[in-house]
Amino acid sequence: MFNFRTLAIIKRELREKIMSKTFIIMTLLLPVFMFGIMAFQTFLYTYDSESSASLIIVAENQNLTQSLKKDFADLEIIKNGKYTATFKTLDNVQLQSLLESNKKNLLNDKLNGIIFVPSTALKDKKIEYYSKSPSNSDLFNKIRGAINQALVDNYFHDKQLSPDDIEYARDRVDINGFRISTDNKIEETNKGAQIISFVFAFLLYFSLMFIGMMMMRSVVEEKNSKIVEVLLSSVNSKELMMGKIIGTAITGLLQMAIWLLPLVVVVSSSIFVIPPEFIPNITMGEILYFLFNYFVGLITFLGLFATVGAIFDNDQDAQSGIWPIMMLIMIPFFISISMAKNPNSVLANVTSMLPFASIMVMPARMSLIEIPVWQFATSIVINVATMLLIFPFAGKIYRVGILLTGKKPQWSEVLKWLKY
Amino acid sequence: MNALEVRNLYKTFGAVKAVDDVSFNVPEGKVFGLIGRNGAGKTTTIRMMMNIYVPDSGEVFLQGAPVTDEFKQKVGYLPEERGLYKKMNVWDTLMFFASVKGKAGKETEQKANDYLKRFKLYDRKTSKVQDLSKGNQQKIQFIATILHDPEFLILDEPFSGLDPINTDLLRQIIIDLKNQGKVIIFSTHLMDFAEKMCDHIAMIDNGKIILHGSLKDIKAKYGNRNVNLTYDGNISFLHKHPIVDSIQDFGNSTGITVREESQTQELLKLLLENNVTIRRFNANDISLHEVFIKLAGEQDKADESMEVRNV
Repeated sequence: MFNFRTLAIIKRELREKIMSKTFIIMTLLLPVFMFGIMAFQTFLYTYDSESSASLIIVAENQNLTQSLKKDFADLEIIKNGKYTATFKTLDNVQLQSLLESNKKNLLNDKLNGIIFVPSTALKDKKIEYYSKSPSNSDLFNKIRGAINQALVDNYFHDKQLSPDDIEYARDRVDINGFRISTDNKIEETNKGAQIISFVFAFLLYFSLMFIGMMMMRSVVEEKNSKIVEVLLSSVNSKELMMGKIIGTAITGLLQMAIWLLPLVVVVSSSIFVIPPEFIPNITMGEILYFLFNYFVGLITFLGLFATVGAIFDNDQDAQSGIWPIMMLIMIPFFISISMAKNPNSVLANVTSMLPFASIMVMPARMSLIEIPVWQFATSIVINVATMLLIFPFAGKIYRVGILLTGKKPQWSEVLKWLKY
Repeated sequence: MNALEVRNLYKTFGAVKAVDDVSFNVPEGKVFGLIGRNGAGKTTTIRMMMNIYVPDSGEVFLQGAPVTDEFKQKVGYLPEERGLYKKMNVWDTLMFFASVKGKAGKETEQKANDYLKRFKLYDRKTSKVQDLSKGNQQKIQFIATILHDPEFLILDEPFSGLDPINTDLLRQIIIDLKNQGKVIIFSTHLMDFAEKMCDHIAMIDNGKIILHGSLKDIKAKYGNRNVNLTYDGNISFLHKHPIVDSIQDFGNSTGITVREESQTQELLKLLLENNVTIRRFNANDISLHEVFIKLAGEQDKADESMEVRNV
């Protein structure tokens, strides 16, 4: 079946697809887009919109003011100059006049807020914050620690405790996650694993959709413009379908390889300097598995997309007929991205070995946790079996469908084609 | 020796009998016409001949052996509804269609250049197909059909949409190919055309073969009481004349059937006596058109009476 005719079809597909503008633009733009989003998030996370904010910190007694001054000086936001803080020791009455005199500054953002730490805070840790926007949790998170520290220091100051005791008392519980794997290395989990998991799921989702739709449109075009009849006088429908699928799958594989290139470089070299918690925890073996898995999935889905394309003779009908196939891609995608919290749930376990779903869930899962070998094996067997099983059916529907034009067929009619 | 034999083909689509016991032979080195109205079953028959459709029953033999996919390499097929990749350029299109037939290389390129020059499309080599006129697209499609030097040519309405000059050019090429010993099969509903080009015909109507044989034999069989007449004047007096069986007006020419073969001379005399100016008088001649109308008409009547009986 694989002969010069199939080869000629493959060549044409490759030429048409790889040279197409959409393909080139998508291939280059997607990584930019994806890294762009990630960089943007990181940027938003680290960058403060109130870049040069200023605060007045008022305490009711001198000791407290001194401790606050000391502890604020250690704060990141003060050190890097994003926030400026002025310290004052005032009582409640004096505070009111301070507020009155700074009202204008507060309203026109020259001053972002006034924090009042009354002496009673040493008992109940209640402080006051005066601002135009008083529910600035972002700011609170950043300064809460420093204020707490100052209060704790003052509170224990007279209690004759050693500095070590105080240090212990004010320390927060710090949870470090460790990933347990069978190779006895206990590694700290990092953001990298979650990012890789998301990247894998997203790339699979995007590529299956993009390449799949490309395939479907190409089949509809051949059918619609009657080229298929000319083609079938040279090749049989199996050769045509196979040639188109292989050609398109190679295109997809090439695209995926280009997309994974940055990852491969990161994993295998130290050209990029990346913060340690972002270093992806992935091996070359896993990347190769990912590509193999993708190829199997791509062939499977291309078979389905081609079949649906063959049923309809215009793009619109085909678009509306493709939704069952889209669901097979979308649902696993949502499972994959929601799995990050608990990659060992029953849902994650089962879907990573379910036909169609496995293609996306397994790679996303493998970057989060260590997968037992038998699960890998099951997933591969199931995916390959699914691929081999759908083709006798897909091939038949394709063969009948590509030559039928005119009325939009019912699904029940399509099932009858299996018997032709 | 028959180049192709079609034996007892059947094909139904749901309730529709598209092809109903079709058999005919295509002799070696002849131009063969598969003729019939639109929807008669021509395209379905051709698709089965080329292994595109699997017949419900029946077989097609290629030089004595059942036809397989290998036949596809030897055939050039120009379907009625043309199809080219719109965004491909002319040259790539030709090379692609040659490559699926297993042809590539210098010789094929040389041939493609020759044909492009012959059709005056050489300067459009790098144009996209969609930028060509319909007629030019059709010429490209034709070149793609014959570029791999097929032994068999199956042409479905090859001249539709072509201007007279290109029609003539195409006809010339087809005759050249015939003289090279290629088997040429036309599928058409244009009887005049089939009459001019074909040596053998099979007439198909409602999925059935209603006539099959060499054009000469068919004409001899159906033409012996027939006169093909071209004239100026008034022949309405013939309508009720005792020697005239039937008259069919084709515009330019008229077919007149007399009751006895010997009466053709009497008819000529009658026309002269009535001051009809005779431009052409072909005794014992019948156009394929007449034969078709006659046979298909009988078929329709038979079908009608069947239906009446069924009620």
